[in-house]
Amino acid sequence: MKKMNETQLKELEQDLDTIRDQVIADLGERDARYIRRIVRLHRSLEVGGRVLMPFGFIPPVFIAATAALGISKIIENMEIGHNVMHGQYDWMNDTSLHSQTYEWDTVCTGDSWRRTHNYEHHTYTNIIGKDRDYGYALLRLSDDDKWKPAHSLQFINYVLLSVFFQWGVGLHELESERIRRREISVREKIPFLKDFFRKGGRQAFKDYVFFPLVTFPVAPVVLAGNVGANLIRNLWSSTVIFCGHFTQDAETFSEEECEGESKGHWYLRQLTGSSNFTGGKWMHVMSGHLSYQVEHHIFPDLPAHRYPEISEQVQAVCKKHGIPYNTGTFARQYSTVLKRVLGYSLPDRMRNRMLPEFSSAGAQS
Amino acid sequence: MISVLENSPTLHWLGRQLFNRDDPAAFFDPLLERINPMWVQQYTPAMVTAIYNETADTKTFVLAPAKRWLGFEAGQHVSIGIDIDGIRRNRTFSLSSSPIRWRTDGTVTLTIKRLPGGLVTNWMHDHLETDTVIGLGDAFGDFRIPSPQEPVLYIAGGSGITPVLSQLETMAASDYRAPVTLLYFVRTQADVIAAEKLHALTGRWSAFTLKVYATSETETPQFLSDQHLDEVPGLAGRRCYLCGPKGLMDLANDLLYRRGISEDRIHSTFFSVPAANLDSGTLGGAVHFERSNLDVSSEGDAVLLEIAEAAKLSPRHGCRMGICHQCSCRKTSGTVVNRLTGKASGPGEETIQLCVSVPSGPVSIDI
Ligand code: FES
Repeated sequence: MKKMNETQLKELEQDLDTIRDQVIADLGERDARYIRRIVRLHRSLEVGGRVLMPFGFIPPVFIAATAALGISKIIENMEIGHNVMHGQYDWMNDTSLHSQTYEWDTVCTGDSWRRTHNYEHHTYTNIIGKDRDYGYALLRLSDDDKWKPAHSLQFINYVLLSVFFQWGVGLHELESERIRRREISVREKIPFLKDFFRKGGRQAFKDYVFFPLVTFPVAPVVLAGNVGANLIRNLWSSTVIFCGHFTQDAETFSEEECEGESKGHWYLRQLTGSSNFTGGKWMHVMSGHLSYQVEHHIFPDLPAHRYPEISEQVQAVCKKHGIPYNTGTFARQYSTVLKRVLGYSLPDRMRNRMLPEFSSAGAQS
Repeated sequence: MISVLENSPTLHWLGRQLFNRDDPAAFFDPLLERINPMWVQQYTPAMVTAIYNETADTKTFVLAPAKRWLGFEAGQHVSIGIDIDGIRRNRTFSLSSSPIRWRTDGTVTLTIKRLPGGLVTNWMHDHLETDTVIGLGDAFGDFRIPSPQEPVLYIAGGSGITPVLSQLETMAASDYRAPVTLLYFVRTQADVIAAEKLHALTGRWSAFTLKVYATSETETPQFLSDQHLDEVPGLAGRRCYLCGPKGLMDLANDLLYRRGISEDRIHSTFFSVPAANLDSGTLGGAVHFERSNLDVSSEGDAVLLEIAEAAKLSPRHGCRMGICHQCSCRKTSGTVVNRLTGKASGPGEETIQLCVSVPSGPVSIDI
């Protein structure tokens, strides 16, 4: 991480706070209209997808219905659920858009997400050993983990994690790696597991039992379409999320360097630990504006559709302080994620030879 | 139609499985709202059908609530929800029309005075238009007409007349025979709300006596005094209803009390949270907001909702006066005192209402 002294950090903090205050002062009708429009879009797509699905025995209809349902789930999870649960729309005082009560269309319960994501990941972003989102305790993505032969197969894990992403996220709080290491017992996790099975059961019931059953004669078609929609959502959202922190230049941090950190230091860590990707308007909506991961990490509770508007200001602040602003095309960022996953599956010597950009002397702090 | 869902446990269960929410019908709200805003399920919609001026700073809004609204009794209040600049604001007002009117033509009225600096009242005066749909809560409050009939004395001030109007109309329509007297205090004669209606009542309802006193038309202000009470025949046998500014209510309470009218025969209605006598010595302490990982200290003069808002949090809330339970959340440790009842909570984990709870020592809240 770039070294900055306390005075510089203070100045960084003030610069970013100014941007934040401007947006907060300006929140109102426009933001309410935006999120309501997106909610309406989600409802239309979901209702449309569900209604069309039984007619999926006609191939083009099957594709349209699956796509509609898949996209509806993406929009609900990314632009609505994720952002609402960050408290981005709490100021509207609308019960259906409030962070503490929102429950989204995925296996992970809202409560579990609020603990593991809002609190842990956003507080300890990219601190190895504290941010369990870094590699999801499944992948080796930095030198901080010692290489073991099992890591050489991690690309398989990566693919499985993407395919079953909603279940992976849902089980995140189980901390299975700590149970394996006997640091905690399964018993402590019983309340969590109860919630997990209730919510997971509900999601599976809806997509894999209820809707196929009510359309009985075409049940296999509806089942296939629903599986497809969930798969589309899983692959897309995992990819977007991996692009947020696992790209080549996204930095990682040690617990020591973040001990007792100031707000300015926290800002710096969020700026250097996150990465954006560029794209068209719909690319941003479909990623819940996590394409602006940098802006999201410094201002997690500002309405996400504001990130594009403030991005230039944030870049200017980065430039002023000599902090790298990590962005690139989706293809470029994603390819570096794949390289990182593959690179760290190799023993260090081999990686240094084949992917020198990931060597310890390179981007890693 | 869709509200059938609410009533069947099986359908309700199913709705929850399918839509992950306690009010499954409201899943369709964003679409229903487009088709017909009166079909919204999340709250009871009510359409503004007419607006007319009462005085220079008071208007009456006529509302037609959706069919499923549960109705009310004369003298009760409702909380309404209005979106102002993207923010849903909830406020409580008393209904000024009689329940008979609601049963006959399905409308109710709110008579609302501009409050100086009041965000919602001024917005309603300046921007609320007919055909707009607003949210309406269930009616509440125990300011009710005596049954069986008894002689009644109303002492009202300014816009405090609204629940009284509802009661008078209801009594007149139901042929209330016992004597009813209204002492109505206004600043000037021009400030009399619903003047026509009141005078019409005196004409057609013989048990009713109306006395209007303008407090600020003469050199020295005219306030409620023993003289006014002397003019009320059979005062000792009357049930008394007070509604108006705090000064008037305190004065009335005091005068009636000194005439030996027992407390249980005096009914007052409030629009703000009545603060129970709290022993300020034990109030205040460190507040920890768990999910947001924030620590603040409190002096014991503010409720947790205000403390949280001052710390830039936005907890869910509605009425801000302990009625709607929108602000309920988990307290994980510490003791809080309920401002309405004056009672202290237990020390452990329990659900509390943020808008009426004052910390008493260190507390942790799950927001
Ligand atoms: S906001 Fe209504 S009870 Fe607290």
